[in-house]
Amino acid sequence: MYKIFLYDGTFEGFMCAAFHIISEGIDKDRAIIVSKNEYQPMFIDSVREVQSDLKAFLEMRKGIIEKTDCSVFKKIYYAFLSDTEDKESYILRYLFLLFTHGKKIKYLYSDDIVNAVEKMAKNVSREIGKYMGLIRFCETNEGFLYAKFEPKNDIIKPIAYFFKNRLNEFCWAIHDVKRNKVAIYDRKKVQFLICNTLKLKVTHQEEMFQMLWKKYFKSMVIEERKNLKLQQQNMPKRYWKYLVEKN
Amino acid sequence: MDILEKLEVLGAAAKYDVSCASSGSKREKHFGIGSTFSAGICHSWTDDGRCISLLKILFTNECIFDCAYCINRKSNDIKRATFTPQEIAELTINFYKRNYIEGLFLSSAIKNSPDWTMEMLFRTVWLLRYKYQFNGYIHVKAIPYASLDLIRKTGFLVDRMSVNIELPSEKSLRLLCPNKTKESILKPMEFITKVAEEEKNFVSAGQSTQMIIGATDDSDYKIINLSQHLYKKFKLKRVYYSAYTPVNHDPRILKVDSPPLLREHRLYQADWLIRVYNFSADELFKSKDENLDLEVDPKVMWALRNLDKFPIEISKASYEQLIRVPGIGIKSARRIIKNRVFHSLDFEDLKKMGVVLKRAKYFITCNGKTFERFLIDLPPEKIKQKLTDKNSLQKPQQLSFFDREVFTSVITGEI
Repeated sequence: MYKIFLYDGTFEGFMCAAFHIISEGIDKDRAIIVSKNEYQPMFIDSVREVQSDLKAFLEMRKGIIEKTDCSVFKKIYYAFLSDTEDKESYILRYLFLLFTHGKKIKYLYSDDIVNAVEKMAKNVSREIGKYMGLIRFCETNEGFLYAKFEPKNDIIKPIAYFFKNRLNEFCWAIHDVKRNKVAIYDRKKVQFLICNTLKLKVTHQEEMFQMLWKKYFKSMVIEERKNLKLQQQNMPKRYWKYLVEKN
Repeated sequence: MDILEKLEVLGAAAKYDVSCASSGSKREKHFGIGSTFSAGICHSWTDDGRCISLLKILFTNECIFDCAYCINRKSNDIKRATFTPQEIAELTINFYKRNYIEGLFLSSAIKNSPDWTMEMLFRTVWLLRYKYQFNGYIHVKAIPYASLDLIRKTGFLVDRMSVNIELPSEKSLRLLCPNKTKESILKPMEFITKVAEEEKNFVSAGQSTQMIIGATDDSDYKIINLSQHLYKKFKLKRVYYSAYTPVNHDPRILKVDSPPLLREHRLYQADWLIRVYNFSADELFKSKDENLDLEVDPKVMWALRNLDKFPIEISKASYEQLIRVPGIGIKSARRIIKNRVFHSLDFEDLKKMGVVLKRAKYFITCNGKTFERFLIDLPPEKIKQKLTDKNSLQKPQQLSFFDREVFTSVITGEI
């Protein structure tokens, strides 16, 4: 019989569930962590709902960093943001390996679990890297900058913190249209909200700058070097939907 | 002329400058708009596949010089335009806050005089830094013959400065740039190097340069040797190579039908080998007038000529030996060294570490074994044939042949 641990869908919640499994010595092959929203009840399982609590989360984080280092903790966080199905079970197994092998886990390239987690983290980190450059803000009449995007992975948090540092002098909102999540920054702090529709109007100036950017984008092409394949390889089509220069 | 038209003219005029980096800045942030990011960020890719990181524009394309290869030379009958510092500052800020760009790359033709031009570049960046409190990345060209004092003042406001070396030899420079001398280029370059060594916050992301490839008969050896010299003597961060695009008809320029892109790519790879992998120009080239092999990358070219140094044993080889194996890069070499402490590595492990076995398998053994039997005794021609078979570049100069593999690393040259 499996022991199902339900968590609230957040990274902190997940870590708390993992904390209980590991500290209570539950058999790793019998434990499953599932997000509350995704769980479909099966009556043969024993189900337990884990409350997110800061103490357990911090304990877990401390343990991971002590056993390895910050880069591994970040890797786990990124892997958690991945849209891979069953990410929880990969990461849970990774955590078990981590507490057995310590730092060595960074070099276990041939282990399938380690490999899978590395891959997930890399995929997320690559997407974050791309969106740092490919998010497009527009100026709204409401007095803030607004950007829409539809990332494959759930990366609005790291993206928002990047722009908190970069556009710290402006008020802005970043909208993950696929997940209906919005990050809002008021020149002091970032807040995350769930939001379905936003009705906004762009400023008159905005249209002019979009036009200038489009013009510039076109004028930079060296015809003799044209290479649309290379363009697409660097900037896959799924990023184009909200790019001013591509619309 | 309105701003839209100016942007079109002066953007198009700057597109042949190949530098696009926005990385490596160490300027301290105090307050104001924006930040730099040490790894650099690409914000878009044009239809030719080159990344856009900075708003790359000329201040003006009105030029008193007449360089044979340059679209903006005095004798060309083209549309001319000049920005004002205010216009550039506004464009930069507005593009930046919409996250179109990482900052500004400001170059210029030489209008009125070198000092007038340099003064305008200085005023523009001053306005950006002080009036607009702009804190993003700025790369500015130092204008040949401009006063060193102006260059110095500008250097404290920007992340990177560069003087274009233009051509790989003095002879070529004399032939194609009647108005520039070797001196006029090397003097400001040397000056920037010197001040950067002495002063904090002076061009903190370093200095770079670029040269045109294929407009003259200079060999790849000459080019790479020059780069090596520039890295050593002037501590340049990067040398950029720009395959010459035929924009002018001029009898002094070698006739080219299309830009020699594959050659450019090989030069970036060779540059990477001398900059990061500790190769020297003399090692890479057998004789002094030689060119790189267009069929295989320069590391393979070198390895095939030095088969007596191979195969190397993965479990014992030093880091320096490992990074010289085709298909093994810095990252894989580090991983191999860290990982072999824990257990012995086989070819499958290497694959998972990111080693490109397609190339490496001819040059390594794992625990004394080769990848397949008989691989090691193959003669160089045979290995080369096997390595070029699949992406058979029979017509290397034709654009249609630029498949994924050839172009994945145009700018970095990583192999």
